[in-house]
Amino acid sequence: MDLSWYLVLSALLFAVGAGGVLIRRSPLVILLCLELMLNAGNLALLAFARANGDQEGQIFALVVMVVAACEVVVGLGLIVAMFRRRLSLNVDDLRGLRG
Amino acid sequence: MTCGACGVSVSATTYGWLILGFPLLGSLVVGFGWRALPGRTAGWIATTAIGLAFLCSIGAVVMLLDEPTDARQLTSSLWDYASAAGVEIQLGILVDPLSLLMCLVVSGVSTLIHLYSVSYLTSDQGFARYFSYLNFFVFSMLLLVLAGNFVLLIVGWAFVGFASYALISFWYRRTTATKAGMKAFVINVIGDVGLVLAAFLLFRELGSFDYLTVFEQAPGAFEVNAGTVVAICLLLCVGAFAKSAQLPLHSWLPDAMEGPTPVSALIHAATMVTAGVYLIARAHPLFELAPTAADIAAFVGLATLIFAATVALVVTDLKRIIAYSTISQIGYMIVAVSIGAYAAGLFHLITHAFFKALLFMAAGSVIAAMAGRQDIDGMSGFRRAMPFTSLLLIVGALALAGFPGMSGFFSKDEIIGFAFHRGGIYVVFGIGMYVAAFITAVYAFRIGFRVVAGPPCEQARELEQGHLAHSEPTNPATGEREDTEVGFPGPEHHIAEREMPMKIAMAALGVLAVIGGLVQIPGIDDLIEKVAAGSFEGSKLFEVVVPTGEAWEGLAIGGAIAIAGISLAYYCYVVSPGITLSLAERLRALHSFLIHKWYLDELQDILVYRPVIAVGRFCNAVVERVVVDGIVKVTVGAVRGVGSLVQAAQSGFVRAYALLVITGFAALGLYFLVAST
Amino acid sequence: MLNVVLWLPLAVGIVCLALPRRAAAPLAVVGTLGTLALAIGLIADFDSGSPGLQHVVDEPWIEDLGVRYQLGVDGISIFLVGLTALLWAGATGFSALRLPDRPRNYFFLLGLAETATLGAFLSQDLLMFVLFFDLMLVPFFFLIGSFGSGDRVAATMKMIVYTLVGSLLMLVAAIATAILVSQETGQLSFAIAELRAHPLPEGSQQWIFCFFAAAFLVKMPAFPIHGWMADAYRAAPLPVLALLGGVLSKVGAYGFLRVVLPVYPDASIHFQEVMLAIGVASILYGSMMAFTQTNARLIAGYSSIAQLGFITAGIFTLAPDGADGAILQMVNHGLVVAPLFLIVALLAERTGTEDIREMGGLAKRAPVLAAMFLVVVLATLAIPGSANFIGEFYILNALFDTKIAFAVVASAGIVLAAFYALRLFQLTMHNRGAGETASREVSLRDGLVLAPLVAVIVGLALYPGLILERGEAAALDRTAVVVSSE
Repeated sequence: MDLSWYLVLSALLFAVGAGGVLIRRSPLVILLCLELMLNAGNLALLAFARANGDQEGQIFALVVMVVAACEVVVGLGLIVAMFRRRLSLNVDDLRGLRG
Repeated sequence: MTCGACGVSVSATTYGWLILGFPLLGSLVVGFGWRALPGRTAGWIATTAIGLAFLCSIGAVVMLLDEPTDARQLTSSLWDYASAAGVEIQLGILVDPLSLLMCLVVSGVSTLIHLYSVSYLTSDQGFARYFSYLNFFVFSMLLLVLAGNFVLLIVGWAFVGFASYALISFWYRRTTATKAGMKAFVINVIGDVGLVLAAFLLFRELGSFDYLTVFEQAPGAFEVNAGTVVAICLLLCVGAFAKSAQLPLHSWLPDAMEGPTPVSALIHAATMVTAGVYLIARAHPLFELAPTAADIAAFVGLATLIFAATVALVVTDLKRIIAYSTISQIGYMIVAVSIGAYAAGLFHLITHAFFKALLFMAAGSVIAAMAGRQDIDGMSGFRRAMPFTSLLLIVGALALAGFPGMSGFFSKDEIIGFAFHRGGIYVVFGIGMYVAAFITAVYAFRIGFRVVAGPPCEQARELEQGHLAHSEPTNPATGEREDTEVGFPGPEHHIAEREMPMKIAMAALGVLAVIGGLVQIPGIDDLIEKVAAGSFEGSKLFEVVVPTGEAWEGLAIGGAIAIAGISLAYYCYVVSPGITLSLAERLRALHSFLIHKWYLDELQDILVYRPVIAVGRFCNAVVERVVVDGIVKVTVGAVRGVGSLVQAAQSGFVRAYALLVITGFAALGLYFLVAST
Repeated sequence: MLNVVLWLPLAVGIVCLALPRRAAAPLAVVGTLGTLALAIGLIADFDSGSPGLQHVVDEPWIEDLGVRYQLGVDGISIFLVGLTALLWAGATGFSALRLPDRPRNYFFLLGLAETATLGAFLSQDLLMFVLFFDLMLVPFFFLIGSFGSGDRVAATMKMIVYTLVGSLLMLVAAIATAILVSQETGQLSFAIAELRAHPLPEGSQQWIFCFFAAAFLVKMPAFPIHGWMADAYRAAPLPVLALLGGVLSKVGAYGFLRVVLPVYPDASIHFQEVMLAIGVASILYGSMMAFTQTNARLIAGYSSIAQLGFITAGIFTLAPDGADGAILQMVNHGLVVAPLFLIVALLAERTGTEDIREMGGLAKRAPVLAAMFLVVVLATLAIPGSANFIGEFYILNALFDTKIAFAVVASAGIVLAAFYALRLFQLTMHNRGAGETASREVSLRDGLVLAPLVAVIVGLALYPGLILERGEAAALDRTAVVVSSE
């Protein structure tokens, strides 16, 4: 199969993820969308690896998965903490870092 | 001379080091042992130290006179004080007739004044501190006169300035005393700076700070009256005038009378203030190359001499009269060494040390009898209550006035005779000095007659019955109540009639004040001239000798003037005592001009002190706030301004940040896409 | 040897962190005394004839950047190392007698600061010098910021901003120098000796000189960039201030001799008059300010500006005797100003104020304290006979030779110094206080801290040649480049 199909799918997934991150206000959904973007990246990496016939892309994909796992741990942890403190689960209300 | 067995060479310079060593040792012993020394021990240790220094001075003189005249300048150095990078400064002394003459006067008079102080300050709380300072002063003064180079001279110069400060503000709980000390010190530092700059100029031209090298090379290096050498001499004069209280740097000396009376006698009459005279005599090879500078110095001396004498006529504080008299008498010496009458100048320095110290001691005794009051208006009729003090006060006044036969008579008139002999412009100096001599005779006996003659005052009557006056411990200048624990002259007063050490000291000085003039009588002997010759080798002016006939004519005129002045004082203060008051009424403008010391203090205040303070305030209020803080404020403002521009981007919306990141990456991607195609 | 001297204070500081609270202070004192002993050993072992470095340590450090771990002492730095060790021992001892809160942190920071300062004096590699120079800032930031008094946060911020700007400029200048030189030699190196051997063209020297000068003048501080001084001096704890005024200010002046004069000789000549003008302006301005101040710390602080003006002027006479005088004066000033601050601390303890108008009459029951104070004050005003006088004498003599007008103006500073120094002494020790002040003799333990400092002042007064003779070779060496290129 042609490489470009993979890339188109990856770009679409990425766009969906980015759109989600920009539009949605729930931290949980934003986290999900981030995962989507990361996996879009993974898909592209794997496709390239296969097209080139070496393992480098696969290794990168593995690294990204590890990072994604870490991120989910931290991210979910934060969300749980926010929930416990009865903070609003709307990211637009959390503007403590405004300059 | 070498002591063969022990291998130690005993020479004049060894004595020189010992002269320095004893007072320093005394100062340290008394200073560190202040708590452990009971009673008068501190005083006796200090007196012994100075006495030993005096004996060493005699030893050194004896050794030096063994040498031929042209080999009487010996140097010795202990170690390289600060020699590096082309500058050489040694811890070295120069032992020659001039320095030893000064040593003899300084250590001799100091011994007597120490002796006097042992009694006079017995009941002072700071007894040990006083003697430590006093010994340190003598050490410094001896260092000043024995120094072998300009740097060490400056060191001694500054040390005596400090010792003077410490002793003026000895009663440090008195604000008047601390203020006076500060004034003395700062004016003396101005003099130090003059000396330092002179030393720099000398070093630049001649490459050395060493006396002998400098004086040897100077004639070859400078034209007569060359700008540089005149500048050097004028800078030296700044130092000399500051220390010797000549115009316009004189104002500290009258204020310095805040110190204990023996201090006034020692530092502010007999020794330290004559350092300027010594300096000009020491630097005579330079001054002879710069006649202009010498004439300026002589003129300043003359102006000071007349100015101070007139002020002494109206001041009523006993010690201040004597202080102005000192300023005036040093004017004589400055004139003398500036016009080339070196031996006469030194001669007057020596006799002045005797009679002025004597006058101060007698004054101290009188002030003690007045329970600390110094105003001459309240004093009269002490002749029966204090016969000994009165006698010596009159002896001192006679010597000061230049009564025929007394020490001041010979020395003062030798200076005047020299001025007339040199002729030309110097005749003016001679006439000026005669005028001042007349005024001197009047004020000398203003002191003498008002204290001794007349009906006994209350304190004198009490004393005749055996009661020494007591008073509340207050500062006579301000009426401020004294702190009786420290900084206070002591609850008890001591007068010469009741204290043997004071009596001995005063008697010795009295004898010297009478016979001191006999060492150098025109046509009969010239001891000072002969001794000093070793230091003035090759000086043209030193070799000028006033013919005996001319000298005696001068002495006759001088004697007549002195007697006239004393007679006038007798008329004014004894025959018709009210006359001075009505005179002051009639000439009120002149009187207030004189009593305000020619308004020179006020002038100094307006011209120097206030502007400096004002500039300081200005720096504090304006420069510090506007300029220095301004630099910070501008920087901070700039940073803040730039910051506020990008502040808007920090909205706090997570999604806005995400959008920024994504657009950024998209833009980058687009850029590379466009660039690659 | 130098390695031990350099790292011992930090090691002791780290151990202090680990010990129980009570053991920290004694250990810190022992540590600084050990460093002092080593420093004295260095001085005793010093060969005064050689202009070069001694006790050299030279190891590769960051090889890719050409940075080497290079230590050494010469006539310029040897006594500054001694001064650092001495004053740190004094300040640590003084602090140990009146324990601050969190003593472990305090003594750790002091140890770190000593190592940083010694590092600046010992390093012979430009980048190392810059690093240590900046490292000095860190402990002092915390020492003033968390142990200070008054408006300490604002004061430290001001100080940090000022000095950091200078430090950054210096970093840029150091890197630029190395890169410019490497273009010529083909090899990157930060060794000062190496940089010195390949002088830059005059144009680049000039802007680099300005960057270095900015850093050093801020550190000193010199007029008109002393804005941080007043606030920081007001806020700092007094033993720390003794170090700040006594040692840190010298690092700036030292930098001129160590880095600027040898590496940028042409620019030094080019900017000579500007630097002399800054020096003389500092002398006059500092003295003027000193006698209008009423806070005892600030009198000492502004007098430091004046003294550092003398040192700057001495260095930029570009003559061997001026530079030698400046070396002596650096040590002298450190020796004088540190006990001055410690005595101010004692006075403040007795009167509860640092305003000299409210003090007075303290000599009454404290003659020993008064005597020690007097010695320090006389040395501060550079009375002839003190080593400070010899330092100023050398500086002014050289200045007189090169630029006579500057020398005459600068000598006015001597008169002003007499006035403000004596005023400080008189208003505190003499007269009578405004209120009832407890006049109390200096305690034996405080006396044991102060007396050695005073003794060193007196000892140097007797023989200032000790420093002058050892500094001579280095001073000649530093100015030789300048003289030869004239």
